[in-house]
Amino acid sequence: MSGNRENHGMTQTESDIALLLADAADGVEIGIAPVQAVMRGGRRRRSRRWAVTAATAVVVLGGSAGATLAFAGLPGEHHRTQVAAHPASPEARHVYEPQRTELARGTYQGKEWSVSVQVWGAPRNESEAARQFDRMAELGLKPADARKPADLIGKISFFATRGWGEEHVQQVMFNTVRTLESYAGTDLESIATRFSSDPASSGRLVIGMVAKTAQEVTCDWKDGRTSVARPAVGVSAHDDGNAIRAVGGFPTANWFVCVAPQGTAYQSAEVTK
Amino acid sequence: MGEREDARNEEFQSFMIGRWPRLMRTAFLLTGEQHAAEDLVQSTLEQVFVAWRRVGSADEPEAYVRRVMINAHARRHRRKLKEFLAPKDDSGLVREVPDTGDRIAQADDRSALLKALAQLPPRQREAVVLRYWEDLTETQAAEAMGCSVGTVKSNAAKGIAKLRAIPGLAEMVTQGGRG
Repeated sequence: MSGNRENHGMTQTESDIALLLADAADGVEIGIAPVQAVMRGGRRRRSRRWAVTAATAVVVLGGSAGATLAFAGLPGEHHRTQVAAHPASPEARHVYEPQRTELARGTYQGKEWSVSVQVWGAPRNESEAARQFDRMAELGLKPADARKPADLIGKISFFATRGWGEEHVQQVMFNTVRTLESYAGTDLESIATRFSSDPASSGRLVIGMVAKTAQEVTCDWKDGRTSVARPAVGVSAHDDGNAIRAVGGFPTANWFVCVAPQGTAYQSAEVTK
Repeated sequence: MGEREDARNEEFQSFMIGRWPRLMRTAFLLTGEQHAAEDLVQSTLEQVFVAWRRVGSADEPEAYVRRVMINAHARRHRRKLKEFLAPKDDSGLVREVPDTGDRIAQADDRSALLKALAQLPPRQREAVVLRYWEDLTETQAAEAMGCSVGTVKSNAAKGIAKLRAIPGLAEMVTQGGRG
């Protein structure tokens, strides 16, 4: 459409930008439409809508049977956890040194790769924010939407980073927020990336967040193979890089990593248990 | 019911195959990244498939698809999960090894424009892409974005002004892009 465009009342700049957009859009690899995957995904969405409805029905039922609901006591527990988690000193709140959790590690082309998450506590004032801002800069981290230290006040920052071989770690998924978003059920947020920005690294990773209750994340690759990440604690020689882990300082979701077998690329990821 | 459903599935398949290239291009401009674009189109079409019974018989299924895609894009930004929009890393631009000076320049231009687009706030980016790549009228763009025509106008104007102001892009604009 844009290629056939004529100047329908556009200014010169607008039509120049239209041409540039058309050119840039040509840079995408179109590939084959994954019809079957989309239809499978659509069917899962349909059944998920039912699952949500069913869960809602349970809550309503519990609400009408007040004694049963009170017995569970979960809302109170959640509240206590939040109240307890506010130590006073900035050091104890991880304002200047984040809590770091390694999600996965492995070897690719003879060099070690790793993926970690670091969570920085919220600075409470300008001086805490300034020190945190400087410390992040020292580590080569750029917080989201924070151009000046004051933008960090009252906000938690988190960064998923990747590293391969000798190069500096790079942030690949990050945010700076007042409250961490809660994940529930089959919620999943992920990115597909490589081990490194070095074009020599074609190895693919999927990094993301799921609900604390998720027991299995299945990543589908374009060649039909799959990788499965399951909850893991600690590191073991048998680790294959696929794992779901709790992250220090991140109480509202777990994180996962899937590693693609060589020679293929990301297609989809979802919570399967 | 089985036969009717099969027919609907076939209809959806041919709709999807026909629209896939264009949706991928639009998503690429919105996200600036190959895999994010695939993700966006795939999740858009999953939602379209769920509603296909209704959408397929509508006069203009494209309008629905656009609306779903823009909503999904806006939602991802509302969740404010950031990722690097790094064409040099993951978009595939680097994998296309240019063999002539012109192709190198073209890849640079694309990369510069994608970076410039990525720097626009999401609503401005959406307005620019819908108006100047999708070639929609202001009314159609407003429907897709779920806002007023005035909002589309101001977002598109601000977006264009910012794109013009980006060093390097201004030069490309004055050259009228590369053939």
